[in-house]
Amino acid sequence: MQHGGYGGNGAAEPMHGAGSSERLLILTLQRYGVWLRSGVVCLCGALGVVLADVAEIPPAMSLLVPAVLACGVRLYALRHPRMFPVALLWTLDAAVVVLTGLFQPVLGGEGADVMVEAMVGICVVAFQYEWATRPVAAFGLAALGTVVCVLGDVLSSPGHSADVVPLVRMFVQAGLSRAAFLMVRARARAADRSAAARAASRREAAVAAARRATEREYLATLHDTASATLLMVSQGDGRDWSWLPPRARQDLEALSAMPGFETGSVDLAALLSCVPEGEGPARVQLKTHIEGPIMTPSGPGLAIFNGVREAVTNVARHAGVREAELRAWPEEGGVVVELSDAGRGFDPQSVPARRRGISGSIIGRMHTAGGSAFVTSHPGTGTRVQWRWHGRDREPQAQDGAQVTGDIPRPPRVQAHHSAAVRLIRGQLLYGAQLAVLLISLVWQFTISLRRLMVHQDVYRPAWAQTAAFVCLAAVAVTGGAYLLRGRQIPPRVRGWSLGSVLAASAVCAFTLPPGQSTGPADWAFGVVGWHALFLLADLRVGVYAAFLGAHMGLNATAVFLSGAPPTAAESAVMGISTISACGFQFSVGALVTRLLHGTAPAAGTAAAQEEELRTRERIHEDMQRDHKERYRALTATTVPLLVGLGHGVLSPHDEEVRRRCGVEATRMRRLFAEGDAVADPLLNELRACVEVAEHQGVTVSLAVRGRPGEVPVEVRRELVDPVAVILGHTRSTARVTVVWTPRAVRVSAISEDCADVHHGVGAASPTHGRATDANVTVVRTTRGGSVWVDAGWRRPSASGVDLA
Amino acid sequence: MSDNAPVSVVVVDDHPAILAGIEAWYAASQRPITVVAAGGAVQEAWTPPGSTADVVILDLQLGEGGPAFGSLRRLVDAERQVVVYSMRDDEQTALNCLDLGAATFLTKSEGREHLVEATLAAADDRPYMPPALAGALGTNTRADRPQLSAREEDVLIEWFQSESKELVAQRLGISVRTVNSYLDRVRIKYANVGRDARTKASLVARAIQDGLVDVADL
Repeated sequence: MQHGGYGGNGAAEPMHGAGSSERLLILTLQRYGVWLRSGVVCLCGALGVVLADVAEIPPAMSLLVPAVLACGVRLYALRHPRMFPVALLWTLDAAVVVLTGLFQPVLGGEGADVMVEAMVGICVVAFQYEWATRPVAAFGLAALGTVVCVLGDVLSSPGHSADVVPLVRMFVQAGLSRAAFLMVRARARAADRSAAARAASRREAAVAAARRATEREYLATLHDTASATLLMVSQGDGRDWSWLPPRARQDLEALSAMPGFETGSVDLAALLSCVPEGEGPARVQLKTHIEGPIMTPSGPGLAIFNGVREAVTNVARHAGVREAELRAWPEEGGVVVELSDAGRGFDPQSVPARRRGISGSIIGRMHTAGGSAFVTSHPGTGTRVQWRWHGRDREPQAQDGAQVTGDIPRPPRVQAHHSAAVRLIRGQLLYGAQLAVLLISLVWQFTISLRRLMVHQDVYRPAWAQTAAFVCLAAVAVTGGAYLLRGRQIPPRVRGWSLGSVLAASAVCAFTLPPGQSTGPADWAFGVVGWHALFLLADLRVGVYAAFLGAHMGLNATAVFLSGAPPTAAESAVMGISTISACGFQFSVGALVTRLLHGTAPAAGTAAAQEEELRTRERIHEDMQRDHKERYRALTATTVPLLVGLGHGVLSPHDEEVRRRCGVEATRMRRLFAEGDAVADPLLNELRACVEVAEHQGVTVSLAVRGRPGEVPVEVRRELVDPVAVILGHTRSTARVTVVWTPRAVRVSAISEDCADVHHGVGAASPTHGRATDANVTVVRTTRGGSVWVDAGWRRPSASGVDLA
Repeated sequence: MSDNAPVSVVVVDDHPAILAGIEAWYAASQRPITVVAAGGAVQEAWTPPGSTADVVILDLQLGEGGPAFGSLRRLVDAERQVVVYSMRDDEQTALNCLDLGAATFLTKSEGREHLVEATLAAADDRPYMPPALAGALGTNTRADRPQLSAREEDVLIEWFQSESKELVAQRLGISVRTVNSYLDRVRIKYANVGRDARTKASLVARAIQDGLVDVADL
C-alpha cells in the first residue's frame, strides 16, 4: 500500500475530495480484488491442469499461460498505476474472464464445470472491488463473465440447454458485492466527515492560539524596540543623542527579523535616498539614478538598504575614490539595485573569510531575504555590487515560507488526536463491514440456500433437521442484526451462543446429507454458514475466524468419511474446488476485514492527521501573513522611515518636528498595546493610553465622556482613536478629548488649543497610518487660530434602545 | 430684573478655596454681583441674609452624604434660582438637577469660564447651557426627554466637544448667535417637560417674551 502512494490508483477515477478513509478503503479493496482474482485463477488453473488428460494439457496451457500473464500485468499495474491506461487494464481483465471461461470446453467434465464456475464467480465478485469507483466497468465485466459461462456450457455440452441457476447466482453475488462496498464506503465517508468536523474545530482553536501568541510576541518586540526609542526621542531635547543611531538601527533589525515582516512593503527609492554618504574624509558622493517609487516587501527592501550602506562605507575605505554611482530599477516584478565605483578594485577570491562585510552584510543578508547579491570586481577596474530580488521567484519564496513555518508555533497535540481518529475510523469501518456481511448472510440464505433447501427436501435424512438448522441460522442473523442496527455491540454471551448455534447447524446439515452430496447442489448450508460466523467474528483477529472455518470444514470432512462411501479422486477435487470457492473466499473476506481494521484504519488516521496538520499550518501561515500585513502596513508607512532616518542621521532628534513625529508614533503604539487589554470600555482604555503619553510630555489633557458606552470593533477603534493620537502628539500645552455615545453613533473628538504645525494638515482625514480601512469612520477637522479640532464619528450598526431609567 | 441691576448671591460650598475663587470671579464681573452669604451648609440659603439672595450657588456634594437633591428640591420649591456647581461630571446628575428645576448645572472645571454668566442668566430667568450640561442633554436617552432636532443634537454635542461656540459655528456654517439660539431652545424644551416647578415656568415665560422660542415649538 505504501508503495502505491495514496493518490496512485490506476483503475479508479481520481478521488479528489474524498477523505482519507474512503480513499484508503478503495485502494485496499482494489488491491484485494486483484490479488483474490489472480490467486484463484492461478490456483484453480493449476488444479485444472493437474486433473487434465495429457492430450488436453497443450490447449489448457495455451489458455492458462496468457491468463496468468494478464493477472501478472494487473498486479504490476497496482504498483505502477500511471503506466497503464484504464482501457488496457479493462481489456486485460476481460481477457482473463474469457480465457478462464474457455477452460470449460477444453477440459470438459463435471470437474471443469465446477471449477470454471468457481473461477468466474470469484472474478465477478473481485471485479466489483477492483473497479469499485467505476461500477459500469465492473458490471460490464460481470456480464461478460456470465456470457462466457453460458458459452462454455453450450460449447462443452452441445444440445444441452444452459443452466440458469448458476447465472442468477453470479448476478446475486455481483450485486451483493456492490452493495457491501457501498455500505462500507458510506461508513468510511461518515468517518471522514466526522473526522473533518473535529479537525476543523481543532484547527480553529490552534490557529487562534497561534495568532494570539504571535500577536503577543510582536507587541513585546515592538514595545522593547521602536516604542521605547521613539518615546525617548519625543520626550527629550538637548541631551546626548549619540546612542540613538545604533539603537534605531538595532530596532529596525529586530523588527525586520520578525516572521512575516516581508509582507509589508516599503518604497525602496525612499529608503535608498537615506543611504548615508559618510562624513569628512570618509565621505562618498553618491550619484543616484533612481526613479521611484519602487515598492518592495520590507524584508528584501531593508536587506538591500543595509547592504548598500555597507558597500558605500567599503568604497570609502578601500576603493580610493570619493564618488560612486547608485542605480535602482524595477525588473520583472522585482528590483535590481547596483552600486558601482571606478576605484582600484580587488580580487573577490582573495578576501579572507573572516571579513564579514561582503559575505555577511551584503550577500548573506540578501540571501536571507530571498534575493541575491553579486560583487564583480577586478584589480584596477573598479567594483560593481548588484542586488536582485524577484517577487515571482518561487524558490526563495518556498525557502522563505519554510523558514517562517519553522518559526510559528506548531499545532499542539496532533499525536494525541491521532489515536482518537483511528478509533473513530476503525469503529465506522467495522460497523460497515458487519452490516455488509449481515446483508450477504441474509440474502444468501434466503435466495440461494432457501431455493436449494426447497428443491432437495426429499434427499435429506431427515428433512426436518435441515429445516430446523435453516431456522436456527436465520435466528442467529436476525438476533445479531437487531443488535447491530441499534448501533450496539453484540454481547459476548450472545456471540458465544450464536457461534455454537452456527456450528451446530453446520454439523446437523453435514450429517443429515446423503453420501456424495457434500458441497453439492443439495448442500445449502456449506456456503452460507461462513458468512454468519464472519458477521459474528468481524471485530476479532482473522485467526479466530480461520479456526471457525477449520472446524466447519472438519465437521463436513468427518461427515463425508463417516458416510461409508469414500469419495473418488475426481469427487475430492470437485469438493476441494467448492471448498476453496466458498470457505477460501470467505476467509479472504475475513482477512480483508482485519486488514481494513488494523491496516487501513491506522493509515487513514495517519493520513488524516497529516492532512490536518498541513492544513492547520497553512491556515496559521496564511492568517499570520494577513495579520502581519495588517500590522506592518502601519509600521512601514510611519515607524520604519522614522527609525531609518534616526538610525542613519538623516533625521535629527534636535529637530522639534522630528520629536513630534516620534511622539505621534509612540502614542499610536501605546494605543496598539492597549488594544489587547481586557477592559469593559476598550475605546476609553485606548484613549487613556494616548492621553497618558501626552501627559508624560507635559500636556494638560481633559478627558470627558458622555452617554452609555457600547461595542466598537477593533478596526473602528483604530480609526476613531488615531486622529486623537495625532492631535495629542502635536499639542504643546492643553488639549480636550471627549467621547460621546448616542444611540446612533459614537464620536471621539480632540481639540488642541495650541497645536504645532496647524497648517500641515495635522489630524486631517488622511490615512497616514496606512491601514486598509472599510470602517466607515468619518473624520471632520476644523481649525481656528492655533486651535485644531478633530472629530471622528462612527455610525453604530443599530440603535441600542431607549434608556428607561 | 433689569439687565444691569446688581445681583445678590448665596454660595453653599464647604470648600474655602472654592469660595475664594468664586468671589474673585464675581469681583471681576461688569455687572455687580455680591456674595451676601457663604458657608458649607444649605442653612445659609434659608437664613438672612442668604434667604433673600437672588441666586443660590449650590455644591451638590456637601459633607459625607450623597448628592443633595433634597436640598435642591426644597430650594426650587421655594422659588429660588439655583445654580448647581458640582465636582460630579456625569450626565445623570446633570439631568436630575435640571428635572428638579435647577437654573443650570456647572461642573467645577467649567467655573472660571461659565459661573459668572450662569449666575447672571439665573438671576434674569434666562437659559444658560455650559458644555458639560450640553453633553448630558445631547446623549440623553431617557424616555421623558423632549424631542430635539438633529441640528440641535449636533450643536449640543459639538459645544460639549469643543467648548468653543466659534468653532461650532465655523464647523456648522452658522453664526455664534444661531449656536446660542439652538442651545437656548434646547434648554427651554427641557424646562417644559418633567417635574413642574415655578422656576421652569418662569424660564419658559421669559423665553417666549424674549422671542427665543415660539409657543408652537413647545
